[in-house]
Amino acid sequence: MTAPTDQDAAARAAAPAEDTPTTRTGPRFGTGWLALVLVLGLLLGAAAGAFGTRLIGTPADDSAEAGFLRDMSTHHAQAVEMSMIEHANSTNPQLVTLAGDIAMTQNGQVGTMLAWLREWNLSPTGTQPAMAWMPDSAGSVRNGLMPGMATPADLATLRKATGNDLDIQYLTLMRQHHLGGIHMAQEIITLSDEKKVTALAGTMVAGQQSEINLIDDLLAKLKAP
Amino acid sequence: MSTPGPERVPSTVKVDKTSGQGKPPAKAGGTRPAGKGPQGKGGKGGGKGRKPVAPVKVSGGRNWGPIAVAGVVVLIAVGIIGYGVFASIKGSESWEDRAGGIEGIIDYRSQKNPQIDDRNHKDGPLTYVTNPPVGGAHNSSWQNCMGDVYPEPIANEHAVHSLEHGAVWVTYKQGLAADQVTKLQEKVQGKDYMFMSPVANLDKNVSLQAWGYQLKVDSADDGRIDEFIKDLRLNATMEPNAVCSGGNTNTGPVTAASNGTGMDQPTGN
Repeated sequence: MTAPTDQDAAARAAAPAEDTPTTRTGPRFGTGWLALVLVLGLLLGAAAGAFGTRLIGTPADDSAEAGFLRDMSTHHAQAVEMSMIEHANSTNPQLVTLAGDIAMTQNGQVGTMLAWLREWNLSPTGTQPAMAWMPDSAGSVRNGLMPGMATPADLATLRKATGNDLDIQYLTLMRQHHLGGIHMAQEIITLSDEKKVTALAGTMVAGQQSEINLIDDLLAKLKAP
Repeated sequence: MSTPGPERVPSTVKVDKTSGQGKPPAKAGGTRPAGKGPQGKGGKGGGKGRKPVAPVKVSGGRNWGPIAVAGVVVLIAVGIIGYGVFASIKGSESWEDRAGGIEGIIDYRSQKNPQIDDRNHKDGPLTYVTNPPVGGAHNSSWQNCMGDVYPEPIANEHAVHSLEHGAVWVTYKQGLAADQVTKLQEKVQGKDYMFMSPVANLDKNVSLQAWGYQLKVDSADDGRIDEFIKDLRLNATMEPNAVCSGGNTNTGPVTAASNGTGMDQPTGN
């Protein structure tokens, strides 16, 4: 692509279309002024980009990432609550182990999620209602409870339960809780490009799915006569 | 890289000016950067830098196109800088600064009152400086603060421990209109690090507490309630990562049996 020929040809071809006569006379300082402005503009833009990128690059207060981290922290906290009740009151060693595992894992993840919000200079509390970051989530929050969450009545009953009844209640509530959590985690994976967030969400989907399999096995055993 | 870029840009623009009468390709080259912003412009200018040597000889007329382009570029640059400055100022504001900006909030932390700052665990009934309390010695069992909405008054001794864990305690004058109570309840239920209860002898309709902070308002519709929750919930914790579950879920005054694990079953201590 040697320049002159191409350019001239292109110019001739397109000339009739562009019909904007201008005078060739005029002060030359215009071009110098223009050069200066452009150089200045580029330098300013580069400077802004250099120190502005990081600030602009982290998720904003109303981002899906921030919404997910806040909501999943709350969602996880209830799994911890139910699991600690089960861990304290169950007499079934398998259930005590599972409940301890879930409580420790999810409590650790809450710490991670809240730390990211702090890192991004965002408050742990958002201005938008729960689940607002998820498209088509209208109506999914009932009495402040996100999908899969146990009601205050469920928890009151769980606190008083003992023996097999306690274990079955816990597993049933936890299964439903995991299903809600998996749905939220899958949603942020499709919505977000923030790698550390989607990576954590990916481990939630995989981990909770395998726990659901275990829960189903345990429930079948407990309910068998 | 950055030095040659800008130098070549003007020569492209000159082509634009001089050939404005009848050379659209150059004009296209000059127009494209306007949409692309500063960076795109640098790249384009560099690529076409050598072509326009001849046209430079002809001095351009007053063509407003390039001037408009330059104006847009400058505006974009200034806009980016302005945003960066705004974001850095806004982002660096601490939660304490934001909380301090809430009209009517009382910051008891700055008063350095030893009785309010006391974080020891003590058994039995305790007295507090403010009503409702915002800090001080407290029971070893915290009040469950997983978005619990308590219909009856709860023990200050447990509630203060929840504040230490980072919870916001929403209290209202006992007997407050049901629709007002419902509005408060909607801000609390289902949300961890939040709990709510009536207080018999409250001097205002609504009072919000975090550790060392208090805001009293007349109505559940007051916008400062959401501000208080946003700025102080979890941020005001004295024990980061301390939990709200596993606490006492009973209402009523503190009892000897309330010490311990906080489960409904009294475990003693």
